[in-house]
Amino acid sequence: MKKIFPLILILIFASLLSVLLLNHQVIDRSLSDHYLQSGVEETGAINLVTAILFDYRGFDTLGEATVIFGVASAIAFLVPKKRATMLAATFSVAVYQTISFILPFLGVLGLYLILYGHLSPGGGFTGGVVIATISILLTITFGPDYSEKRWRYKTKTLMESFGGMTFIFIGLIGILAGSNFLANGQALFSLGKPGDLFSGGTISLLNLATGIKVGAGLAIIFNCMIKEE
Amino acid sequence: MKFAYLIVIILFCQGLYIILTQSNLIKVVMGFNIAESALIILLVLLGYREGGTAPILDGDYTIVVDPIPQALALTAIVIGASMTALMLALIIKLHKRYGTVDINEIRRLRG
Repeated sequence: MKKIFPLILILIFASLLSVLLLNHQVIDRSLSDHYLQSGVEETGAINLVTAILFDYRGFDTLGEATVIFGVASAIAFLVPKKRATMLAATFSVAVYQTISFILPFLGVLGLYLILYGHLSPGGGFTGGVVIATISILLTITFGPDYSEKRWRYKTKTLMESFGGMTFIFIGLIGILAGSNFLANGQALFSLGKPGDLFSGGTISLLNLATGIKVGAGLAIIFNCMIKEE
Repeated sequence: MKFAYLIVIILFCQGLYIILTQSNLIKVVMGFNIAESALIILLVLLGYREGGTAPILDGDYTIVVDPIPQALALTAIVIGASMTALMLALIIKLHKRYGTVDINEIRRLRG
């Protein structure tokens, strides 16, 4: 009886949604057509998702990075224990050897995803998550103390602040050059030849800043979640 | 095409039903995640074009899908992951204080 009422509510909602979604009109694609036609000339990046994320809607991405910063600080505030007390589980030798073997490759993969974000699928957020995986794997296999020793908490907070500040400074250069906040081609930045590694002006710099910030931020979130009394 | 929209509706309503009926807070977070994945599928569907490829304009393409919803989907994924982490941290805090993650038990403990 207790679950009948939500079920009826959900069914009404589902019928409303189906009326809304199944009969929707043809979507206006004039903006995306503009991006598809002149996006490469305007931004210098051939990956249009990255071009939209870091050039056309760079301010949006700054807000998105701020959300991660806010969540990391909120979790660090909620779980204010100094020491991680999660016990390190003991694995066989194969696990330790494999983890220490793949960790450098994970770092290279993360950096590749960040630096080639304007050419291939990937970008700052994806590469940052891969870099945060290094910290998580270190913690799970070798224990929190070892992980803390290799990549200190202070370094992580420094990296996160550095990423955020770099993002804002790159945006301010656009204002100093006489254009908008986070201006790319309109400011001093040269767009280069689309398809090259050094192309896209601010896009690859912003990708790098976001990657550092997201990687450190997610590592901080994980580090705080494993702390307990 | 219509079939895919049906999947979005079913997934979203499933997530909403879990949020409304379950009393275990971890399951409520799972419901939020199911509803969020429905939202991401909807965003990808809105940008879909018949026979389109990924929006990377490296020369050999004819039809490209709409890149704007994909950028929004990335935003949704990041914010969803952050909110999941925050909800789980709050649940850890609740469990420390009350010793349970059942919402009815917590309600009984405090008026």
